[in-house]
Amino acid sequence: MTTLASGGVTSGVSAPPGGLRRIGSARWRRRNLTFDKISFFLVFLVIPVAFYVGFVVSPFVQAAYFSLTDWTGFTPAMNFIGLSNYAKLFTDSTFLQAMGNNILMAFVVPIVTLGLAMFFATLVTVGGSTRGNIKGLRNSSFYRVISFFPYVIPAIVIGLIWSQIYDPSAGLLNGILTRLGLEQFTSFAWLGDPRTARWAVMFVIIWGLVGFYMVLFIAAIKGVPAEVFEAARIDGAGRFRTAISITIPLIRENVQTAFIYIGILALDAFVYMAALEPGGGPDNTTLVMAQQLFTTAFAKGQFGYACAMGVVLAVITLAYAGLVFAVNRIFGGKSEVGE
Amino acid sequence: MDINSRPLGRRDFLRGSLAAAALAATGSLAACATSGTGTSTSQSSAPAGQVSDTNPFGVQSGSTVDAVIFKGGYGIDYAEFAGKQVEAKQQGVTVKVTPTTKVAQTLQPRFVAGNPPDVIDNSGAGLIGINTIRDQLAELNDVIEAKNYEGTVIKDTLYPGVTNPGTFDGKFIVLNYALTVYAIWYSASLFDQMGWTVPKTYDEMLALGEEAKGKGKYLLGWGKEAATYYQTMAIGSAIKEGGDEVRLALENLKPDCWSLPPIQDVFNGLKKIIDAGYMKPGGSGTVFTAAQAQWSDAEDFILYPSGGWIENEMKDQTKSGFKMTGAPEPVVSSNSKMPWEALHSTAGEGYIVPSQGKNVAGGKEFLRAMLSKDAAVNFAKTKLSSTIVKGTVPADGFGSTALQSQIQMLEKAGSNIFSWNFVDLYGMNTDQLVVWNSFLSGDSDVAKLTKGLQDITDKVAKDDSIKKVQVS
Repeated sequence: MTTLASGGVTSGVSAPPGGLRRIGSARWRRRNLTFDKISFFLVFLVIPVAFYVGFVVSPFVQAAYFSLTDWTGFTPAMNFIGLSNYAKLFTDSTFLQAMGNNILMAFVVPIVTLGLAMFFATLVTVGGSTRGNIKGLRNSSFYRVISFFPYVIPAIVIGLIWSQIYDPSAGLLNGILTRLGLEQFTSFAWLGDPRTARWAVMFVIIWGLVGFYMVLFIAAIKGVPAEVFEAARIDGAGRFRTAISITIPLIRENVQTAFIYIGILALDAFVYMAALEPGGGPDNTTLVMAQQLFTTAFAKGQFGYACAMGVVLAVITLAYAGLVFAVNRIFGGKSEVGE
Repeated sequence: MDINSRPLGRRDFLRGSLAAAALAATGSLAACATSGTGTSTSQSSAPAGQVSDTNPFGVQSGSTVDAVIFKGGYGIDYAEFAGKQVEAKQQGVTVKVTPTTKVAQTLQPRFVAGNPPDVIDNSGAGLIGINTIRDQLAELNDVIEAKNYEGTVIKDTLYPGVTNPGTFDGKFIVLNYALTVYAIWYSASLFDQMGWTVPKTYDEMLALGEEAKGKGKYLLGWGKEAATYYQTMAIGSAIKEGGDEVRLALENLKPDCWSLPPIQDVFNGLKKIIDAGYMKPGGSGTVFTAAQAQWSDAEDFILYPSGGWIENEMKDQTKSGFKMTGAPEPVVSSNSKMPWEALHSTAGEGYIVPSQGKNVAGGKEFLRAMLSKDAAVNFAKTKLSSTIVKGTVPADGFGSTALQSQIQMLEKAGSNIFSWNFVDLYGMNTDQLVVWNSFLSGDSDVAKLTKGLQDITDKVAKDDSIKKVQVS
């Protein structure tokens, strides 16, 4: 890439026609022809791009095309029906409800998870004793290890474990609550009551992810020179002020990246839901778009319609990422660095 | 760049399922575009073998039968057994039995590519909606009109009405193999011990609820994925009460079908039981197998509406001495149009033969083997469940009280056997579960339940893109 650019610049700058330019471009061309160069391009550019086009771009293009058809998914035949799948989608109350659930999750899950992760990360890196070197709480490496545990367990297992914990009759949670004398929780269906189901599910997702984002933030904070924190401390900043004015601005790009990753997860959430609420939950309060897409495609045999759902989901995901970039920029960040 | 591509990259299952399908589809799509024809042109390309009494479909010697079998509660060994029978009877034919747990996901690309298996056991949670593929299936009338391996015409060996659930718009295309009896299940030993009798009406059920409460037990219970078992029971009761009229209104997705008096009576009967607190609370948050264990193992509640598979499903979680026994679903009043003994029975494990398969005759021969005595008896004996073939279960039910009672219920019902298809046919169960969970947990009332179910029905009825099956 650099070579290409500099070659271009050389030829562009040379306004007076002369030997220099010819030599430059000839040298560029000759160098380009070497086996090294060709094989390099082949291995690092052509093959990956071909794979990307073949296995990522083309399925998306095809899915987008299928969303304009009435394909059932089980025949090679399909009719082009224009945008009517989309028209149907935006009058489909179940899908709109699923979309609403997803959007709510895309805001609650990242904010709570990252808030907690930031809090813990601060504690174990710079939140320790205010005397001596900048350090975390005592035994911070122990906390760091155990908080990562949930992330090691596959999401589906987390879902299954928690569906047992939430079990109304034999579950751990109601067992503890009733033992504490809270009789109103006898046989209370955490996942079956429309008031609690979505929060119960979000809690599981947050529980599973806090550790990972905590470790991510710890790594970022460790990259900040300790002198900065020391200077802040000498100026009289307390722990909270340090976190708000020093830590977060300095690791802003990590926070943005984390936000986008976890937001995408919350917009998907299929695995957690498959284990916790395979039926969409009470009054569909935990139904997510991915679940609705799956049922539409495989149980109802409406692949065209399901593809339209997929396209909408992808658009929402992109819009979400755009929103996170925009918010970060409004508050003074440079999103380009986030890459 | 990285971040922007990430959202798309994460769409694993769009990519996973569609990429495979789409890639497989491209070839045949192109072909379709040029030829411009529809599908379902039966192309039994394999040269037919000699048709004879012992080879009624003309299976070609040396051909292979590609059977894809759902591997669920019944396993696949019974299908392998039938495969061996085919190989023994038809010289040089090989049967390849492949198990799958997700039928639709596994076979969808093969249907698109026009290369489906010769015979499929289309069952389980991930089955292919029959409505989606019914144009591509071979009619199976010749299978039941053929003679089995013992020389009797197969049709004459089957229980009455077993081909109805597999018949769509007059075409018999799905052979449902395992006979399923829907009933209310209870422990005969517990009932004897307590001196209880099986309730025949909703009022009797309510009264039994009171008695059970005295013993510290609930009457009924449910699990969140199986809330619609109560819908199955309610529809069964309503059909007994109001006759075929009710069944046809539901099957044909008639406006206000859920408001018919017999259905409303049943809903009100259930509501009384729920309001009286005889339903074990918390079902909408309980995994259904855990809920079923509360009945079969802990005996927290005493009646459970389900299909005959319940015994096999709960085999490891049934209290010893629990004599699992079934009784027909209750009626509303003593002057119901069908007697209490009338039975909701249908057949499950839907076997289909795609008309585009390479060896359609082989697929049919496989079904013929399954319907012959050896394979049917083998199934009944190893799965403790009857096939649609009569007379394969001895009086002792191979030692199973549940199987015994199924056969007895079938005998008592005589020709009063009914079933319906609309729930599975239009894939309504997922939506209905939501409505039923809130009804059973006492959060909604009969009016809300009726409206919720009617909305689901109307949505399908009004959607022109869904092909409807006219039932009469």
